Amino acid sequence: MARPRTPRLPPAIRRLRGLGMPLGSVLLAFAIGGAILAVTGDNPLTAYGALVCGGFGIGCTFGENPALQISNTIVFFIPLVTTGVAVALPFRAGLFNIGAEGQLLAGSIACATIGIKLGSLPTPILLPLVLLGGMVAGALWAGVAGVLKATVGAHEVVTTIMMNYVAQWFLRYLIVGGPLELRPGTSKSFPIGHGAELATLLPASNSMIIFGLPASVYRVHAGLLIALVAAAVFAFLLWRTSLGYEIRAVGQSQKATRYAGVSVPRTVIVTMLIAGAFSGLAGAVQIAGVDHNLTDKYFSDTTGFDAIAVALLGLGSAVGIVLAALLFGALHSGGSVMQADAGISSNLVLVLQALILFSIAANFIGHIADVVPGLRKREAPPPNAPPAAGSLAEAAAPPAELA
Amino acid sequence: MTPVFDILKLLLTAHLWQATLTWAVLLLLPALGGVISERSGVVNIAMEGMMLIAAFFGVTADIFWHNVWLATGVAMLAGALLASVHAVVSIRFRADQIVSGIAINIFAAGLTVFLIGRFYGVQDVGHVSQAQLLPNVDFPLLDKIPFLGQVVFQQNVMVYVALVILVLTHVVLFRTRLGLRIRAVGEQPQAADTAGINVYLIRYGAVITSGLLCGIAGAFLAIGVSNTFTPNMTDGRGYIALAAMIFGKWTPFGAFIACLIFGLGQAIYDNNSIIHISPYFLSMLPYLLTLVVLAGLVGRATPPANDGVPYVPGSE
Repeated sequence: MARPRTPRLPPAIRRLRGLGMPLGSVLLAFAIGGAILAVTGDNPLTAYGALVCGGFGIGCTFGENPALQISNTIVFFIPLVTTGVAVALPFRAGLFNIGAEGQLLAGSIACATIGIKLGSLPTPILLPLVLLGGMVAGALWAGVAGVLKATVGAHEVVTTIMMNYVAQWFLRYLIVGGPLELRPGTSKSFPIGHGAELATLLPASNSMIIFGLPASVYRVHAGLLIALVAAAVFAFLLWRTSLGYEIRAVGQSQKATRYAGVSVPRTVIVTMLIAGAFSGLAGAVQIAGVDHNLTDKYFSDTTGFDAIAVALLGLGSAVGIVLAALLFGALHSGGSVMQADAGISSNLVLVLQALILFSIAANFIGHIADVVPGLRKREAPPPNAPPAAGSLAEAAAPPAELA
Repeated sequence: MTPVFDILKLLLTAHLWQATLTWAVLLLLPALGGVISERSGVVNIAMEGMMLIAAFFGVTADIFWHNVWLATGVAMLAGALLASVHAVVSIRFRADQIVSGIAINIFAAGLTVFLIGRFYGVQDVGHVSQAQLLPNVDFPLLDKIPFLGQVVFQQNVMVYVALVILVLTHVVLFRTRLGLRIRAVGEQPQAADTAGINVYLIRYGAVITSGLLCGIAGAFLAIGVSNTFTPNMTDGRGYIALAAMIFGKWTPFGAFIACLIFGLGQAIYDNNSIIHISPYFLSMLPYLLTLVVLAGLVGRATPPANDGVPYVPGSE
């Protein structure tokens, strides 16, 4: 069958075309979410207006402070970037890391434990120590899945799910009647030492007024810089180092990579270790920058799952991940405003997130483009399809495939 | 020494084993759903979400209509509807089945709490009265057998239903033409298609069946074991069922044995005041044991050859 010739568009336009899938998926999700709202008796515009106010501080009608809303969005944004990277990197190697949540918990547990036990150390020593500790713990947590995948071919999706729950129950053990619990019945740990705390970007002062509110209410912290550096490191690692080349090669074709003399098992393990270190860092930053202790809210934390949506929506690129994390950070921050102002459960955000995932996974936009005349794209599959799509098939192959 | 002694003493009570079977069945139903779905070649990590949505609609139907059987039917319908979303997205649109599964679980967690706000206004669903719960059924005579009678024959009606479904699943999968077709579609869809089997139809059927089974489990959880709906009440059971499916190497009875082990852990957990170890280590056990199985220490756990691979007619 002869392929229709598509006229070559200027690179800038073609690049914009690539945005059609993620943007279309988000719009489609909001449209379906709006339909759900309308059916259950809410005005979608009121709901989405409150979401935009809560997320970006625009168009607020209940007197929310725009600067505070943006600050809240950034606080949610920080761990989403770092865990988003932790999902996106293994994607490139054809690995699906559902374990960012467990790795994040491992990182926060390590950070809290070190920050509590060595709490008297000064900042220059303790802060690097807790962040490093978090990275090592996260790396080890993901490393289990990497080693099992590389040696016996155990599917990383299943092993990382199991590791998520092991981390969650271990956290419960630690802070519910366990060695880190502050007092019996509190379900939270001792606070970390001041030396382990990550500074807020604005001075923690009640007297200094910024945008009409005391500076101390803005919780934006130095983790913002860490997250942006993590995204940059991810891009550099992937596109400017030989390891990054190997990771992408393994994701494209294990057979060809092996013939090129690259050890596939080694690359799989290293990829998971690095991914885990990113997630662990996210957890450590969350403890050091926001919470300063382990609490029961970590039992129901979903950052590591949101990260999957962030990585997919961001098409696995650093810039995309930052933008997607900003969207989901805004949705989280906006959700609570929507609940307060419009009386609509903030769980609508989860529904929207799920709809976005469906839309991306099923490539609804691509199918719509196929049937709408004039929107037909070029024949090649979208460059943004996650390489993980075929990973399960590889997992089912005998482990010799990895030897 | 005392913890070991305490556990031994606990293990001799019929009450413990009765609870073990109840908890095991709660895991068995979604695990069987997983076995059927994955045997046909569709990866299903969405049992958690299907159970959760079924639990919500089961409770809601029971509260509105005061009929537990109707409520169970509604729960099954809810599970099947959500399963058909997974089926359409996975089979028709050839989506990544893991992403779709995650989306289903997030969707169910979000939608149920969102709907609580819509249907009930406050964050409380209210309770189903004792008379409207799935009943316990004691088998006459058999329930008088010492020990065994209490463990097996004084159970909730859904326990017997689930055990019948267990045997049925085994027989259908391994002793009937339909079962052969399901397994053929999961192992070699191209060959099955050539032999005239409708690959899509079999896969749709298998995924929707898994939704129905998760629906029963959701009903059993919400209006059998419990009497209300609370947000995220499945609490990872769908994932433990996934673990049981792998632990049992994608066979119904293998999964059942895994469910019994995990159920025993839950039953001991519930009696943790008697034993003096942190119950949270018990909760970790299903996941750790599954990792051990996956590590190949207890034989290989190999999924069906084309598990998770969308079928494209005419390929290869």
